[in-house]
Amino acid sequence: MGAVVLVGTKKGLFLVRGNDDRTTWEVEGPQLKGWQVFHAVRDPRDGTLHAAANNWVYGATAQRSTDEGETWERSEGLGLPEDSELKLTEAWHVEPGHASEPDTIFLGGAPGVLFRTDDGGTTWEPNRALLEHPTRERWQPGAGGLCCHSIQIDPTDAKRMVIAISAAGAFVSEDGGESWTSRNTGVAADFMPDDKYPEVGQCVHKLLLHPANPERFWQQNHCGVYRSDDRAETWERLDGNGLPSDFGFGLALDPADPDAAWVVPEEGAENRVTPNAQLGVYRTRDAGASWQLVADGLPSPAWAGVLREGMAYDDRSIAFGTQSGSIFVTSDGGESWIEAASQLPPVLSVELA
Amino acid sequence: MAVVLVPSLVAAQASGKKRFEVDAGTVGEALRGLPVSDLLLDERGELRRLVNVYVDGVDVRESDGLDTKLAPEAEVRVIAAIAGG
Repeated sequence: MGAVVLVGTKKGLFLVRGNDDRTTWEVEGPQLKGWQVFHAVRDPRDGTLHAAANNWVYGATAQRSTDEGETWERSEGLGLPEDSELKLTEAWHVEPGHASEPDTIFLGGAPGVLFRTDDGGTTWEPNRALLEHPTRERWQPGAGGLCCHSIQIDPTDAKRMVIAISAAGAFVSEDGGESWTSRNTGVAADFMPDDKYPEVGQCVHKLLLHPANPERFWQQNHCGVYRSDDRAETWERLDGNGLPSDFGFGLALDPADPDAAWVVPEEGAENRVTPNAQLGVYRTRDAGASWQLVADGLPSPAWAGVLREGMAYDDRSIAFGTQSGSIFVTSDGGESWIEAASQLPPVLSVELA
Repeated sequence: MAVVLVPSLVAAQASGKKRFEVDAGTVGEALRGLPVSDLLLDERGELRRLVNVYVDGVDVRESDGLDTKLAPEAEVRVIAAIAGG
């Protein structure tokens, strides 16, 4: 089966279509011209495309398309209540809801906010428990703002969710978002002046739940790569096991193998490019006990950057995009990579659809 | 009727319509009645910081803002601030 890579860029959305064996790719677009597409995703339940699209003049929007992006409909009333004393600054991530709730979709945004729609994206309601979370005053924006960028729903239970905010940390809900509990035990915040392991304030860059083993979470953090086997009650740091750096953004998993993960390390917070003049993806197949460079087909020398939404996976492939406008795809677990597109605008997000 | 003219990026969000005839007494009424009002006004109903609005050539921020009165034949131009990258 062919695939489409939804590529959100600083200058609109591109669809990169692959053939059945995913060896040749064609670029379509751009759509949503003039908009910074922080994230776009296809809802697997009905095929609708959803996009978190922002413009520095006209603000944050949630958009949807039922015709492969030919036309888009902007959602109504996306904003924060006056009593919150907050205003929505960016829409960051769209996450289709649980299979049992076909009209429910979640939208993460800044400043550290989560919206929910139960009508397929026509209207959105802010999540009050997160808006009024008692730890909110201790959250600090990262370089990308105080963004809610990771939203994961347990496939076995619609009410069990995990979200991550940079830099507030990971939060788990067992009641469909009625309440949120911080889950950052064991996760470092090396940038803090005193307490390096605070209750909240961790700078999660990307957090994923394993779809076949929803007790297992992975996260690429500002300060390390981590795995949890107990729904984030505790985290184990994994970047001392062969990664060239603890810093990075992109993260991908293998739906058939809970012990596998892929990351794209960068030199560090002060120089956000891939290290050793090489665009390198690192893979583990032993739950993070060891990591191997898998870079066949990736350029060198290269000083690339992959953002937090810039890596994705499905049951056959992994794709990632760079700020220099290339899309790379592997369909053999990283053993070889194909440059599916180049010379796109800076890539903000990638999804396989 | 007053006329509101919007930039092409905003028009693209209104099926390509760049020109709106409005029956409004103030700039705020005129903008709130547009199908793209959320792009021009934030969730408090305030003019977005980088959205500039001119009534017959005069910047409304130099007059009464959204309360600026509109003459029946007024021309309201929405222009994005020069910004971005």
